[in-house]
Amino acid sequence: MTDCGCEKAKAELEEYLHRELSESDFQDITEHLAGCEDCSREHLIGVILTEKVRRACQETAPEELRLAIKLKIQALR
Amino acid sequence: MVTLIAAEAPHLPHLDWGAMPEPSKNLKQLFEEQALPYMDQLYAAAMRMTRNPQDAADLVQETFVKAFQAFDRFEQGSNLKAWLYRIQTNTFINTYRKRQRDPYQGSIDELEEWQLAGGESATATIAKSAEAEAIDHLPDSDVKEALQSIPEDFRLAVYLADVEGFAYQEIANIMKTPVGTVMSRLHRGRKLLRERLREYARARGIGVESEGEVTR
Repeated sequence: MTDCGCEKAKAELEEYLHRELSESDFQDITEHLAGCEDCSREHLIGVILTEKVRRACQETAPEELRLAIKLKIQALR
Repeated sequence: MVTLIAAEAPHLPHLDWGAMPEPSKNLKQLFEEQALPYMDQLYAAAMRMTRNPQDAADLVQETFVKAFQAFDRFEQGSNLKAWLYRIQTNTFINTYRKRQRDPYQGSIDELEEWQLAGGESATATIAKSAEAEAIDHLPDSDVKEALQSIPEDFRLAVYLADVEGFAYQEIANIMKTPVGTVMSRLHRGRKLLRERLREYARARGIGVESEGEVTR
């Protein structure tokens, strides 16, 4: 098990977070994070940021909009 | 079919003929079943795009009308959510963005100023060890406001990736840009967002270290 190092990990954390890495790169970063406090802290910040944004952005469409759209669609041929 | 096997015959009377594909007649029904459930999500995205409820409602309505009119060309089985997002994003870029020319539209000029103003100074005031927790404690309103404050293209990329969970390639299709552009918008957008949230946290006194933690 060779550690890929902080430089590679830091450069790819965003892609790691968004699951956009190849299987082997993903594995490398996972292994590095397990042993590196600094990088895992950085990763955690990224995870929290994502989760925070996701939760903050939830909305429910207003009932009158829902109705207006249904009527509009009904009226179209 | 004439060559029905005897064993199958008893099922015939129970066939629901109304549910059989009947293209023109069922298109509307199919659309309502498949597309309308995405209304909350599209509305949430529209809120972040237009930044006000009235424009958001108009945008979503226009999106569904266009989607319905094009629905016969939608390839069943492909990603409907991505398809709807593509329509909404196009509609937003082509009409609403042009209309919304207020001074705070988040131009690139504004960004440069912003980056100069923000920079590393904010980093020092919140210990990195406390940053995740500080972000986590911010109210949703701060997060939305921070998101509103970053340039539109960055905001869209962050939204599509982090709220909707689209893959880079899907975002590239929705925004009609190369994947590399998506990546850089996403990275820069998230970096700005993080800086902004750090400022909010500092202003609220969340995660600020008092005892000589302010190191370089």
